Amino acid sequence: MVDGAAAIARGALDAGCNFYAGYPITPASGILAHMLRELPKVGGIGFQGEDEISSIGHCIGAASAGATVFTATSGPGLSLYSENIGLAIMMEIPLVIAISQRLGPSTGAATASAQGDIQFMRWCTSGGYPVIVLAPTNIPESYHLTKRAFKLAKRFRNPVFIATDKDTVMTTESVPVDEMINAPDWPEIPTEPVGKPLDPYQINGTIHHYTGSSHTEEGYITKDPDIIAQFNERLKNKIESHIDEISLVKADLQEGADTLIISYGVSARSMEAVVIQLRSQGEKVSALTVYSLWPIPEKKIQDCLRGIKRIIIPEMNHGQYRHEIERLVNRDIELIGVNRVDTILITPEEIMETYHG
Amino acid sequence: MSEVLTSIKKKSNGEVITKLSPKEYKGKVDPDWCPGCGDFGLLNGVRKACAELGIPPHKILITSGIGCSSNFPGYFNAYGMHTLHGRPVPVATGVKLANHELTVIAVGGDGDGYGIGGNHFLHTARRNVNINYFVMNNQIYGLTTGQISPTSNFGTKTKSTPFGSIELPINPITTAIMAGATFVARAYTGDSKHMVEIIKQAILHNGFSHVDVFSPCVTYNKVNTHNFFKQRTVHLEDVDHDPTDWKAACEKAMVWDDEIYIGLFWQNKERKTLEDLDPVLDEGGPMAFRSLGLSKDKTQKLIHKMM
Repeated sequence: MVDGAAAIARGALDAGCNFYAGYPITPASGILAHMLRELPKVGGIGFQGEDEISSIGHCIGAASAGATVFTATSGPGLSLYSENIGLAIMMEIPLVIAISQRLGPSTGAATASAQGDIQFMRWCTSGGYPVIVLAPTNIPESYHLTKRAFKLAKRFRNPVFIATDKDTVMTTESVPVDEMINAPDWPEIPTEPVGKPLDPYQINGTIHHYTGSSHTEEGYITKDPDIIAQFNERLKNKIESHIDEISLVKADLQEGADTLIISYGVSARSMEAVVIQLRSQGEKVSALTVYSLWPIPEKKIQDCLRGIKRIIIPEMNHGQYRHEIERLVNRDIELIGVNRVDTILITPEEIMETYHG
Repeated sequence: MSEVLTSIKKKSNGEVITKLSPKEYKGKVDPDWCPGCGDFGLLNGVRKACAELGIPPHKILITSGIGCSSNFPGYFNAYGMHTLHGRPVPVATGVKLANHELTVIAVGGDGDGYGIGGNHFLHTARRNVNINYFVMNNQIYGLTTGQISPTSNFGTKTKSTPFGSIELPINPITTAIMAGATFVARAYTGDSKHMVEIIKQAILHNGFSHVDVFSPCVTYNKVNTHNFFKQRTVHLEDVDHDPTDWKAACEKAMVWDDEIYIGLFWQNKERKTLEDLDPVLDEGGPMAFRSLGLSKDKTQKLIHKMM
């Protein structure tokens, strides 16, 4: 019996995390509690900041000094993290951030699931520089994707999000042990860094600087348009030129199906249930679970479109991911959203109703 | 890495003396501050203090926020992190916990530290992390060309208070003392010798050291000028102040008249720091460089400590 909070925390610890700072917020506080209880036992440090702004600041400081850092929050906390996430992108600091989504806007429904921060995670900072967002659909994936997030953060020296939600984080479920122990058959993330490796402050290290301002390779402020352009292009390209490596989906395609259901996170569990039902009724239907929401796995999505005339996209928001898929597919494919923003999870029955039109 | 040792001498008894020069701490970039800016004073003062204490550049990390004064780390040869407006102190805390063998200094201005970063100032003081926080206080927003700051006096006319400020300024010294800082001092950049002594004491103090440094803005503050401070500043050491008497410290910190006190207001040497109290940091060097996981023996000890 385990909840998503424990699975995520265990994933972080097994990935080598030795520093956590965070601020209590429902539904992410379980992760804080697990980390602060477990970190000292492995010789790491965890503590609660006076607010979200300081908490992520502590993480950035610790990461720059060589620690492997992790933090978790929910939508309102992400608002407060936002400026520092921009700083981490600019300074190229590896950060893993779990977002346990709840229904917004503002305080919203603090104890209810939602998937309303999908665009917010991607575009939370000034300049719109890319981040990586991974979305587990269940508890074992929460564990394995968290471990993967740390590899990606280190490799790209960039913030990596785990997009989860209240129901995944706070529901205790019984989980098959082998699914927790055995990693899914996902391609390995190479360990060598893209670009310069992180050089923490060593006792006899080379002096170097970080700044949130546009800077030279050595970390000194510059106003030279060529250097600034080069640097900004590199920040963008280091992620976007590795989309194939970052892309992670589960394609459950059926020959002859003309309907594809695409989902992610907790909503994908209803999708899986409905696919089993439909197939048992003799229907032909394909399903695609997107684990790497950002950067968008365009090729992997397009690979699933052969013979598809209609795509159904269940998500607990007003269609944040549907609009992304819209621009990837031919206009003759019909896109239908199944959307809820009323605190209730999308049920398999609702998807079924949409399927039958 | 630049050569950090200026001179190595051997005494007759064979003891090696290494002497550092303030020049070792000169950064690769020259300051873009206005000629006459008080911030030059603190920059030179911290270089001198570090040299006199013999702390080489690669054992120092300086964080800063945003503002004129926050360009400081770029002008200083040590590890540097030029962070966000108001956030140098949380970042400094993170660095200190990950690598507590570094001398960690956070710098910034009055708007950065007492305005937007005020919350972090209070809570870091309360936590008593062993870092040093030097605030270049010019009682004005300089980088944004002259708006009211949290330390501007009542009645101050600025671009954002065209009819004069109707707010009272914050008192950084009493605020720091009340928040639980264990070393609280004030210095003036125009009184260099005194300031360097304060900075050295702050760095040597085991705990959160806060120094409010009068650093006049020659461009946007025509009231709190070098002349203003030269005529008024009085050394606390000359008036028989006892820095273990917090009531006397607060009374003296409230004086803003023909006399303004500078020096060490308050020091508590007894209180343990956050690092002292963290069971993980008691042995084994910087946390960030240790291998994850503990020996059975150590785990047992730790659990025992935490129970």
